[in-house]
Amino acid sequence: MRTLRWLLVPLVVLPLAWLLFQGFGRDPRQVASPLIERPAPDWSLTTLDGESLSSADLEGRPYVVNFWASWCIPACVDEHPVLAAASKRYGDAVRFVGVLYQDAPAAARGFLDRYGDTGYAHLLDEPGSLAIDYGVTGPPETFFVDADGIVRARQWGPLTDATMTEHLSLILPVTTR
Amino acid sequence: MSRWLPIVAAGCLVAVVALVTVVALGPRPTPSVAERADALAAELRCPDCQGLSVADSPTSSAREIRRQIDELVAGGATDDEVRAHFVARYGEWIRLAPSGPLPWVLPFIVVAVGVGLLAIWLRSRRATAAPAPSLDADERRRLREEVEALDA
Repeated sequence: MRTLRWLLVPLVVLPLAWLLFQGFGRDPRQVASPLIERPAPDWSLTTLDGESLSSADLEGRPYVVNFWASWCIPACVDEHPVLAAASKRYGDAVRFVGVLYQDAPAAARGFLDRYGDTGYAHLLDEPGSLAIDYGVTGPPETFFVDADGIVRARQWGPLTDATMTEHLSLILPVTTR
Repeated sequence: MSRWLPIVAAGCLVAVVALVTVVALGPRPTPSVAERADALAAELRCPDCQGLSVADSPTSSAREIRRQIDELVAGGATDDEVRAHFVARYGEWIRLAPSGPLPWVLPFIVVAVGVGLLAIWLRSRRATAAPAPSLDADERRRLREEVEALDA
């Protein structure tokens, strides 16, 4: 009985401590996206340049959807050169699309003037239905869609060269990897 | 007096059970579209807030989710279909209250197990603290003989 009593402490306390640590140790928004391995949401929106663009226009090629905002500092500023460099390098094989997350077009243009144009289109998503369709909780958040229109990866938070390469490898055709 | 007590107690029990049954199974007013949308907004999480529901938040994400709830409910979607619409986008995280019985039942199971373990522990403590068994007649006789032998 005495040994049972001493066993009780680790038996009860350790699992509880582990459970609490799991809960506190990570941001609840970081849970895996339910969109992974599912078809990407369809959309038809206007770009920052006033042109219309739809998900159907991107079909047949992998694409990257990056939700960002001019007020998202420093995370969106940090990942900006990563996106610009990747779109330059893989531009033939992968389409890149930016989506403004709760941002004014003028403010977004100011951001691009200041930190450099990415060389790809940015969508105006007011009042935010595309962000909801992608389950975005805050910028920056980036989705990687393969040539079949299936979401293969999601980056929560800013992209680095390493995470960009890692996620791109999941959607690039074998020859360009 | 005391022979009426069981009858009164049984009567009270029957009344309580009848009341609970009537309240639980009785006709409930069908909630309006707006009431259903309000209730759904209150149980969905605002995606860009800290622990606020869609109903409690003024952010544009919350407003857009609220608009979609209104649209879905008005379009004839059931409450479960509306929940599923947002869970398919954000995952279970979007629900403020957990789904499934386990999170609701688990605390009661834990308390029951705790009470059980406490009872076992208390009982074992009482068992060890019990007085030593008294001497049987044979030992009593031997003890008396030895004490008498000492006195002698």
